[in-house]
Amino acid sequence: MAKRLLVSPLRDRAAIAGVGYTEFSKDSGVSTLTLACRAVLAALEDAGLTAGDVDGLATHRVGDSVAPGVVGPALGIHDPSWHLDQFGGGSVSHAVVAQAVLAVAAGMAETVVCYRAINARSEFRMGQAASAGPEAQYQVPYGLAAPLQHFAMEARLHMLKYGTKEEHFGQIAVRQRAFAVKNPRARMRTPITLDDYRASPWIAEPFRLLDCCLETDGACALVVTTAERTASLRRTPVLISAAAWGGGASFLSGGHMDTTETAAARLAPRLYGMAGLGPADVDVAQLYDCFTYSVLVQLEDYGFCAKGEGGPYVASGEGPPVNTHGGFLSEGYVHGINHIAEAVSQLRGEAGDRQVAGAEVALSTAQPGYVLPATSALILRRG
Amino acid sequence: MDRDSREWWERVAGGELAVQECAACGTPRFPARAFCPACRTEGWRWRAVEPVAEVESWIVSHRAFGGAGPGTVVRVRLAAARECAMYGRWLAGREPRAGELVRAIFSQGADRTLVDWAPME
Repeated sequence: MAKRLLVSPLRDRAAIAGVGYTEFSKDSGVSTLTLACRAVLAALEDAGLTAGDVDGLATHRVGDSVAPGVVGPALGIHDPSWHLDQFGGGSVSHAVVAQAVLAVAAGMAETVVCYRAINARSEFRMGQAASAGPEAQYQVPYGLAAPLQHFAMEARLHMLKYGTKEEHFGQIAVRQRAFAVKNPRARMRTPITLDDYRASPWIAEPFRLLDCCLETDGACALVVTTAERTASLRRTPVLISAAAWGGGASFLSGGHMDTTETAAARLAPRLYGMAGLGPADVDVAQLYDCFTYSVLVQLEDYGFCAKGEGGPYVASGEGPPVNTHGGFLSEGYVHGINHIAEAVSQLRGEAGDRQVAGAEVALSTAQPGYVLPATSALILRRG
Repeated sequence: MDRDSREWWERVAGGELAVQECAACGTPRFPARAFCPACRTEGWRWRAVEPVAEVESWIVSHRAFGGAGPGTVVRVRLAAARECAMYGRWLAGREPRAGELVRAIFSQGADRTLVDWAPME
């Protein structure tokens, strides 16, 4: 209970007032700048605001997209009072919004648009991106290069250590596809069965094709402003009850002895503490699903079940609905931000056929800290 | 290879598998780097270890990634320093087994000597 006394003064100070998307495809045919502009304008339109209201812009990227300093001028937004060009991939996807919370709470900006724009299929094959940094020299020469292979290595370890079965991964893929069938935005809308999963080709054992996310061209944007301001805006406000980011350990360094526990396990108490909530309060969860395994391990590390019990927990069907848009596996991979956007849709009660009845609290998470030793997450609440 | 790791690779090229240890507190560290994460000092020494490790996990790639062809990559922990987890290619006609002891095989790679792994027998 002590944790509940530590509720942050930042709880519910900021809110998401608008969400914007481009189409998700295999080939957008346009630049990442065009994608970013389209998503930013769509999010502003959704919020009932215009580019003239924007005084903050934020994104993250890994040399694959456009900076706020390019997007701002392209939309006639000159001299924003705050911007953020965060280096990093999926692990910092939610930290971008977390930092926008700080900016609006501190009065550095009032209307921040967070965006992520990528041509991750037609221009910059995210799945082929080799590891970087000082550890890559100990991996790439052996043919261990792609994120998929690293996560497959971790998935195997979990299987060996805890008896997790490939069917558990398969159930995650099947369930997310069932949601995508109900999502007009999703790229993959044909239902699949566990037999389809078992028949899908190996990519890097223990991962099959259906364990892997969809490299996608697309963009998504969110309007972050103060909670007070959302009262005068047109959409149901979605309050940011907690926003956290934190460290972890990479695959090798620092004598990390058990990589079945991710950085999320360390961040989760801080995140829940900030919101004054716990996993039992979560009505819908959007968990970073670059691969099926990352969902399973986060169910453990965010406290929905005990460490090692992710497989049986998935099989039981218990817990909140997860990745109700279909996730990266079936909606498309926009590197994290589309999880937040889906959480907003659910909390507004606007998720159509896939709406989770009575959803009040959502958890949305970033890559749990394997590739870069960091992760980030948000708890959102209907205002 | 970067500046922190050059000597480790040079020792590998000479047929030695070495563990870098903190000169002050003895904590092993891998990959090689200047600072000890335990006591935050810069000094170190090299300790040649028996090139034996235990299999922790592995993948079987069915296509090429990062310029390397399909095949099995293992993650092992050194018997002499379990803190040191290393990757390498699996050089055997069967799948690895979890926990089995394996021996290092020094192989010539494109630009350096690499450390691969094979069953003890």
